[in-house]
Amino acid sequence: MDTESRQISPEESLHLIANMIRLAQGKMQRNAFYFLLWGWIIIACNVGMYLLMRFSYPYPWVIWAITIPAWIFTIVKASKKTSGDGTVTHMDRISMWLWIMFGVIIFTLMSFGSKINYQLGPVILLVGALPTFVSGIMIRFRPLIAGGLVFWISGIVSFLVSPEFQPLVGAAAIICGYLIPGYMLKNSKE
Amino acid sequence: MAFKDLDPLLHSQLRLAVMSVLLSVESAEFTFLKEKTGSTAGNLSVQLDKLSEAGYISVEKTFKGKKPLTTCRITRKGIKAFEDYVSALKQYISK
Repeated sequence: MDTESRQISPEESLHLIANMIRLAQGKMQRNAFYFLLWGWIIIACNVGMYLLMRFSYPYPWVIWAITIPAWIFTIVKASKKTSGDGTVTHMDRISMWLWIMFGVIIFTLMSFGSKINYQLGPVILLVGALPTFVSGIMIRFRPLIAGGLVFWISGIVSFLVSPEFQPLVGAAAIICGYLIPGYMLKNSKE
Repeated sequence: MAFKDLDPLLHSQLRLAVMSVLLSVESAEFTFLKEKTGSTAGNLSVQLDKLSEAGYISVEKTFKGKKPLTTCRITRKGIKAFEDYVSALKQYISK
């Protein structure tokens, strides 16, 4: 690009502005890593909880403790890698806070599980539908939008089945709503 | 209305390009700006200093391992100046 010495016309200026804005916004972070990491962890928790209940272990929900190192890992990794190409877009920031708030809400729900009669499975699925759906809208990725809807439907199904099958509904929801879009995102060329 | 009515700090190809990029992102690293504007490192560095001195952008210099890392952000003053510049442009074009 020329140095400042060159005089530009107002029309050129407007054209330049529009071009640069398009260039800068074209690249939205499409990071499949977290979807895959969390997809597998949550499946492990759901299946683990189902098995522990089968074996009549009195505290089946302790399996969820394995998410603690995953949270720490996610926070450390996300804070280190601000971006791949040297920018943080407004969308990246919105996305980050959306998922942080999701984590805070999940943690709160787990802490007060007794107040909602331990109906955590359906509630978490319903709450999870929101960031998944919105993330799909933000990165314009339909499988993830569909994933959000799958969570919502699974939340309803989960309310209707008996508690012992709730973890299985949760695992199925994660596979369809999270892992499949996650792998599609990873394999997408864009 | 003449060209001089347009903010001279913004009415320059490279500085305007930098401001446009920074307006649309939260923050951008030097290498990203260099790539998007297609400028040389030396020229970009000079223009960033000018924008920074005017208070239009903030420049943060850190290290990523041993490599220096320059991160730029647009300031409120910069956004205001940019908006004024664009409305001046519109007036000019509509004449």
